[in-house]
Amino acid sequence: MASQIDQMRKGTTTVAILKLLVDEDEPLHGYEIIRRLDARGEGYFHFKEGLIYPRLHRMEQDGLLESRWVGEPGTRRRKMYTLTEKGRQQLEVEMRRWQTFSRQMDQLLGLEGA
Amino acid sequence: MSAGQASDPASGSSPAWEGASQVDAVLEQVRAQLDLDAEMEHDLLAELQGHLEDAVAAARARGLDEERALAEAAACFGVEEVGRELQAAHVGWGTADGVVAAGLPVLCALILRWLVFAPDGTVVGWREVLMRPAFWVVALAALLVPLLRFPRWRYALVSWAFFWAMSVIFFAWPAVQW
Repeated sequence: MASQIDQMRKGTTTVAILKLLVDEDEPLHGYEIIRRLDARGEGYFHFKEGLIYPRLHRMEQDGLLESRWVGEPGTRRRKMYTLTEKGRQQLEVEMRRWQTFSRQMDQLLGLEGA
Repeated sequence: MSAGQASDPASGSSPAWEGASQVDAVLEQVRAQLDLDAEMEHDLLAELQGHLEDAVAAARARGLDEERALAEAAACFGVEEVGRELQAAHVGWGTADGVVAAGLPVLCALILRWLVFAPDGTVVGWREVLMRPAFWVVALAALLVPLLRFPRWRYALVSWAFFWAMSVIFFAWPAVQW
């Protein structure tokens, strides 16, 4: 069961990150993104913390996010991520896709209106 | 890059933090999975270092001692998987960047040669070249393309230096056949 949830989480991490950054409306670093995703999921989705970074970097390569280093030399520097316009558009597409999928699954399993 | 470099002040971390060496040991395990250019690895490890330091600090705030806090942070982190995934995420891009980085100075040099020499093969002269907007467009491209494309300021400076070196060589030894 845990592996099934893992597979579902892997497929939805990108949209979860995009939605988080839209809702929070401020640049966030990787640790804060994980912390807030974990809080939103109330611990149900167990994020292997380090794996958020390859995902963030791929999203940046795809133009969904942009990043910049913040902090002065000699202090702790952080790489902060913000959403791009392409990321916002991608989120709209993914949200519609997810809503359709969710509705169809509910219908398939007879959970509609339950 | 060694793990020790990860806590170097130049990396922007907090070297005085007492658990830094243990965090570096974890980072070294990640680094062992990477085979990217030095600057890319430095950036990746600096980002991961900040994460681990935050995670250890949070665990300590919950009352764990230093060793257990680090063990918990490392366990939640997924050290080996992260290294493999980061390598997979960046290796292709590093190659593409390398091709562009190598090709750009060559392209700039070819355009420069076209600008510096008149059709009869004589050098047009510094004054005339420096007055040509096309010269400055190429010069700025040699600086800004690597900076904005990668973004890698070291590439940009090397490309910029290469461009000016080629300019000087073209003017100083115009008889050399290129």
